[in-house]
Amino acid sequence: MKKIIILKYGELTTKKDNINYFLKTLKNNINIILKDINHTITYDFGRMFIDVKSEDIEKTVEKLKCIFGIHEIIVGYISEDKSLDNIKTNILSLIKDKNFKTFKVFTKRSDKTFPLNSMEISKSLGGYILRNIPNIQVDIHNPELLVSAEIRKNEVLYYFNGLSGLGGYPVGTLGKGLLMLSGGIDSPVAGYLAIKRGVKIEAIYFESPPHTSESAKDKVIKLARLLAKYNTTVKLHVINFTRIQETILKNIPHEYLITIMRRMMYRISAIIAHNSKCNILINGESIGQVASQTLTSMRVINEVIKMPVIRPVACFDKLEIIDLAKKIGTYDISTLPYEDCCTIFVPEHPIINPSSIKAIEYEELIPFKDLIHEAIKNHEVISVDVEEDREYEDIL
Amino acid sequence: MIYLDYSATTPVSYEVQDTISKVTKEFIGNANSIHALGKKSVDLLESATKQIADIFGVNSSEIIYTSGATEANNMALIGVSMAHHRKGKHIIVSKLEHPSIYAICDYLKSIGFEISYVENDAEGLIDFEDLKNKIREDTILVSICAVNSELGIRQPLKMIRQIIKKENIATIFHSDITQAIGKVSVNFHDVDLASMSAHKIFGPKGIGFLYKSSMIKITPLLYGSGKTNYLNPGTPPLPLIAALSKSVRLANNDLEKRERFISLLNEKIINSLSKYPNIKINKTKYSIPHILNISVLNVMPETLIHALDKHEIYLSTNTACASGESSSSVMAVYNDTKRAKHTIRISLSHVTTTEEINKFLTIFKDEYEKLSSVK
Repeated sequence: MKKIIILKYGELTTKKDNINYFLKTLKNNINIILKDINHTITYDFGRMFIDVKSEDIEKTVEKLKCIFGIHEIIVGYISEDKSLDNIKTNILSLIKDKNFKTFKVFTKRSDKTFPLNSMEISKSLGGYILRNIPNIQVDIHNPELLVSAEIRKNEVLYYFNGLSGLGGYPVGTLGKGLLMLSGGIDSPVAGYLAIKRGVKIEAIYFESPPHTSESAKDKVIKLARLLAKYNTTVKLHVINFTRIQETILKNIPHEYLITIMRRMMYRISAIIAHNSKCNILINGESIGQVASQTLTSMRVINEVIKMPVIRPVACFDKLEIIDLAKKIGTYDISTLPYEDCCTIFVPEHPIINPSSIKAIEYEELIPFKDLIHEAIKNHEVISVDVEEDREYEDIL
Repeated sequence: MIYLDYSATTPVSYEVQDTISKVTKEFIGNANSIHALGKKSVDLLESATKQIADIFGVNSSEIIYTSGATEANNMALIGVSMAHHRKGKHIIVSKLEHPSIYAICDYLKSIGFEISYVENDAEGLIDFEDLKNKIREDTILVSICAVNSELGIRQPLKMIRQIIKKENIATIFHSDITQAIGKVSVNFHDVDLASMSAHKIFGPKGIGFLYKSSMIKITPLLYGSGKTNYLNPGTPPLPLIAALSKSVRLANNDLEKRERFISLLNEKIINSLSKYPNIKINKTKYSIPHILNISVLNVMPETLIHALDKHEIYLSTNTACASGESSSSVMAVYNDTKRAKHTIRISLSHVTTTEEINKFLTIFKDEYEKLSSVK
């Protein structure tokens, strides 16, 4: 018997006319993630089949666990001999080492020339299993082991309980968004949640050398690399924010430092997003967490741009965000102790209820349009792949 | 020169020598420094650790560098004992361990821990029933080596783990994998803790690591500063670490092909020596071919080794770390004092050649026949 990987789609099946677009995107995403493994993909509206060499199955399943748009990953078996006796012995050999107390047989018969109908096949297979494995029972409502057999035109397909996929929509099916990635705990999680809903992300990071270190930037690249696992790759825009930050520090009352700084970041992000054909901004703001994330602050900061800002973790508690960060593996990187540009120059008492009028007034004290123009003109773009560059290959 | 003592230590391969000299010259920064040179060093450190972690399918944070397997064994056994002594003070080890394990156990005994020794069968395999019976509620640790250093007996770690965890899920399983690594495949997920040393796999002396599953808590033996690892503080020895990482990578190439070749050499020696009635081949069906132990009953092994020395042929009586004593492993398997006192260990590697073995056999026979006629 040959092994084959079967994928079941999640929410995709609710799409009607454009399901083909969703499936094609899913297939492309899988092709990218499996570029190092020899594979062929076939699909219909119900499932996708991935054929790889049997020694690559495990590796492939591991990679598929990071792909959105998959509800379930199942390793199935195909045999060409369609006689009932052969089906019985095949199933028995596949399940005899499994640990279960209750089971159910589910049969599908797309080959209508097969002499028995689905119910009759299920009955016959169920009886055979009961006779050959001691101390098990049939439970049609809540079986521990679901034994599926599909009689197809040229082959029989067997499969059992699968692994949960990530769900969500295939990345890219909903277009692109720009993630404001800071190096903290929240923004990578926000990015992950946006990717889950089919948004392909690019990321923007603000650095302030020499106030922030090369290590802080490295940390953000590492976070982007983790997100690339779900996003196929991540294009990272790095903005040198030093001049803007120093100008703000020199000229603007300190309680408004953060408000004005965030307004500048929003303006720059919106322009970069527009230039990169991203429809939305995404960030890790969570209501009430810090002074710039009170509702008033959010309004005053947000009003400088027209582009929608999605805040996936806005209503999460910090502990809920941390749990998710640990699950996706960003937590250990986010908690590395490097200053980023939001944590330097923090005033002792930042304003929590800023006023728009004052913000506009203060901004007139600095040539912010020129500064923004300069920052965007000189911005650096890094393409971050899942695999790290093997920089020290010759040494190691 | 014919070197047949690869289980005592190996020469450092040319590729690894290159790494040591390159890193020594080019990476002068302390990996704990925040400037660019420090960052360069920490980058290399992280890449080296990741390479090791990837090879064994574990996380970088689970690899703790040590000065070698003895230090890793200390860190594991004493670290577990200190961290878990409130849960129990009972430790189980096999009778086929490296001397360092017994020395640590003696120390632990002196501060109130109880040590049990699990039996093995006539083939050297751990007696599973005995292991099952010896595990108690207060057993905090079981330490069983993956491959024994004198007879090369390989233990089924996965099965041992299953037995341990079935009896007491809280019991921690440590394995000294020094003689297994680079010779046979080892799955780190079969153990909670594992010790190894680079100088057995054509790497430098003075470096090794302890694999510690992130689920296991141990108390540090060393205290100091430095951000790279709380269990082994201080400045990481980058040239040695890079060399270790490279030797692990090279050691895991072509494991099976190398094993097949070494098996042929092993059989050649056995065929040739087994015709002497006073030479016993100490080999069971679980011995790996890289380590071949024989007992020369009618000649003192030291005499024979000195005689071979003159021809620039180098091998050991038993493990180099217990030279001069009778072999505890041979005793554990054969229960024969004479056999245990007369052992010689011939250890082979993939760089051993057929010509070397032919020449060794000719000279060995010559010297052996001369010495046996003296008696």
